[in-house]
Amino acid sequence: MQRDHGCHRIDHEFSRRGFLASGALAGVASLSSPTVAHELQKKQKRVLQVYLQGGVSQLESWDPKPGTRYGGPFRAIPTSVPGMHISELLPHSAQRMHLMSIVRGINLKTNSHHDGRLFMEMGRRAGKFPYIGSVAAKYLMPENAPLPGYLHVTTRGLTDFTNAFLDARYGQLKLAGAQVPANLIRPKAVTADAARRSRTLLKRLNTRFSGRGGQKSFTDSYNASFEMAEKLMARRDLFEGEPDGKDLDRYGRHPFGRNCLLARTLLENGGTVVKVTHHGYDTHAENFNFHLEQLGEFDKTFCMLLDDLNDSGMLDSTLVMIYSEFGRTPKINVRYGRDHWGTAWSIALGGQGITPGAIVGATNKDGTEVSEREVDGGHLFHTYLQALGIDSTAYHTLDGRSVPIGDPTRQPIQELLA
Amino acid sequence: MNLPPPQTPQDPPVPPLPRDLPRDLPPGINVTKTHVVRTFSIDDVPLTTCRIDPTGEWVVAAAENFEIYRWPLAGPQSARTILHGHNSWVRSFDFSPDGRWLYSGGYDDRIGIWPLADPQPAPERMLVAHEGWVRWIRTSPDGSLLASCGNDNLLKLWDTRTWELVRVFEGHKRYPYAVVFHPDGKRLASFDLMGVIKEWNIVSGKVTRQWEAKFMWGFDQKFRADMGGARDMRFSPDGKYLAVAGLTEVTNAFAGTHKPMVLLMDWETGEFKKKLKIDSRGMAWGIRFHPEGFLVGSGAPSGSLWFWKLDGDKPFHTFKLSGGGRALDLSPDGRQAAVAQTDCKLQIVQFTAKSA
Repeated sequence: MQRDHGCHRIDHEFSRRGFLASGALAGVASLSSPTVAHELQKKQKRVLQVYLQGGVSQLESWDPKPGTRYGGPFRAIPTSVPGMHISELLPHSAQRMHLMSIVRGINLKTNSHHDGRLFMEMGRRAGKFPYIGSVAAKYLMPENAPLPGYLHVTTRGLTDFTNAFLDARYGQLKLAGAQVPANLIRPKAVTADAARRSRTLLKRLNTRFSGRGGQKSFTDSYNASFEMAEKLMARRDLFEGEPDGKDLDRYGRHPFGRNCLLARTLLENGGTVVKVTHHGYDTHAENFNFHLEQLGEFDKTFCMLLDDLNDSGMLDSTLVMIYSEFGRTPKINVRYGRDHWGTAWSIALGGQGITPGAIVGATNKDGTEVSEREVDGGHLFHTYLQALGIDSTAYHTLDGRSVPIGDPTRQPIQELLA
Repeated sequence: MNLPPPQTPQDPPVPPLPRDLPRDLPPGINVTKTHVVRTFSIDDVPLTTCRIDPTGEWVVAAAENFEIYRWPLAGPQSARTILHGHNSWVRSFDFSPDGRWLYSGGYDDRIGIWPLADPQPAPERMLVAHEGWVRWIRTSPDGSLLASCGNDNLLKLWDTRTWELVRVFEGHKRYPYAVVFHPDGKRLASFDLMGVIKEWNIVSGKVTRQWEAKFMWGFDQKFRADMGGARDMRFSPDGKYLAVAGLTEVTNAFAGTHKPMVLLMDWETGEFKKKLKIDSRGMAWGIRFHPEGFLVGSGAPSGSLWFWKLDGDKPFHTFKLSGGGRALDLSPDGRQAAVAQTDCKLQIVQFTAKSA
């Protein structure tokens, strides 16, 4: 794998700002140009998404308000960034906030798991648009990538059609935790030569089908599935064997620890977008006991992964996203729970293209409203892509029609962009 | 083991008690006549716990903020005093047997030691007791020791005269939620998140018996999380029984879908004598042995006081509260109870017919 360890000549010849400027000059920029796509892919930018499923409480994580009406029992602790405080439930993260930034003023105007998730992933409140992971895979994945472009390590299944109208090869491939994916071994009865001839025949039939007016997306989808399977079969070794004992001690021997170790392996071996889901934040009851447990597991494990990316030099070229579908209500219910809350909550970002150590936006004293720099999923979507050097104001070009990559009514959060 | 003598602090100045309200102490306990005699409120903040001091003069409560509130049990509301000292929620209280000292266990890892009857009590000491929340504290029968448990999975024993650490008890693998002294003063009982009950010898520090009340724990398969633990725990005055308040039948831990349960154990035989399940959604947060030989429990979010006979399976009476009952305590004479509620009220109820 080619790592982006430093400042190479090509960076100056094709800088992000220069790229954006050229796009602006061109009026409607298209990222489908082979030259543009090649440059993005050559730089081997990656994305690590850590999705805290169910809606992590902002008050127990990135926006603590101890001693206030709805502050809850946890205290705030200082971080490695002077003046920045986060919850005491994140002591390891606190020591690494000079690598991360916080967005505290998110208002999605929805309290629905489904709607919040789609808004955060698609950057649109409604409609069928590709997830950020699929868009990043499309524009960042090298042509000869050794792994599928968008890998999701999760122990639970939600049905996601992440690529929407994009080619199926940019769709999310789910891995059921840190284990060898099922059916990776070719049946003994099928020789390697037979498998190759079978694939050749299939491609020929698909081409004929398309040529006779068949809907190309059907065959593309099948081809993409075969391509992904072939790539996984070729790198079955990445999933085999027990991780190193020292790594397990650092990351934790629980499923999330193993999943994050797999995420590191995938990123190190050519993964373009790797998402890891940590479940268990939908805390309508016992919010504080559960956040104690869940964030206790998340904090150290995530920080070990962050350290490894940083130590290897990969963090500079890897966008790191810690996010949910929404936050949790300031008001504490009668079961010591916090409910769904998309009105005023936070995420954390770091790595590629992100100004580290920043806090953008704020909520009021009790955390019931955004008081400064309100943003939503649309602004965040632009920001992720701009941080990766992808012009989010450009268009996907699809069979003769153009679709804006990001919501044209939203803009990136410039204060966050390095 | 030579237990230290009971604490003999300087006598704090005792303020004159408000006597503008009558002490409601009519004779004749009849729980079917239970009624509210007084309501204290706490500034629109739900309560977490409460206790009545051993002399019956004071009632204290904590809330979803960092304060402790004190009233004369006889009222009025305006006699409220706020005790500042913790930096997080307080979940557990106890007292010295003479009622002079209030102890508070907080989620700021500390135990507060307060001269209860001072006009404006200030903490004599804020003792850093555990790494993580102090979940429970309990005074020994003679008052010389205080037991605590916390999120470091440890039980600790403190000398109430010097506040030196006497002994550490290791063995719980998950958070111990509560610890209590057996009335003989020689043993502790503790209950953890997973429903593990341990009996400890306070001299050797060793576990002498252990049980698993798995029916008071559940693993939420969907969210992969454990739900369980004691929300209150009490020995009967004769030490024959242990009662534990908590939950059972967890189906969705994150939505609070489980049922209240009180476990009644025969401590001599170790038998689970009664599993007193309530057929409604919620949690049993409080449990007490009434001097007249029945059990009183409180629960939320439904807001109920339940009354069981020791040989009964169903409550022989239920009293509806105005809000969820998170904790309860009995007055020394057994005629009244204080209930810390989710609707920001500390209700004083009386187990008798209304006064004429």
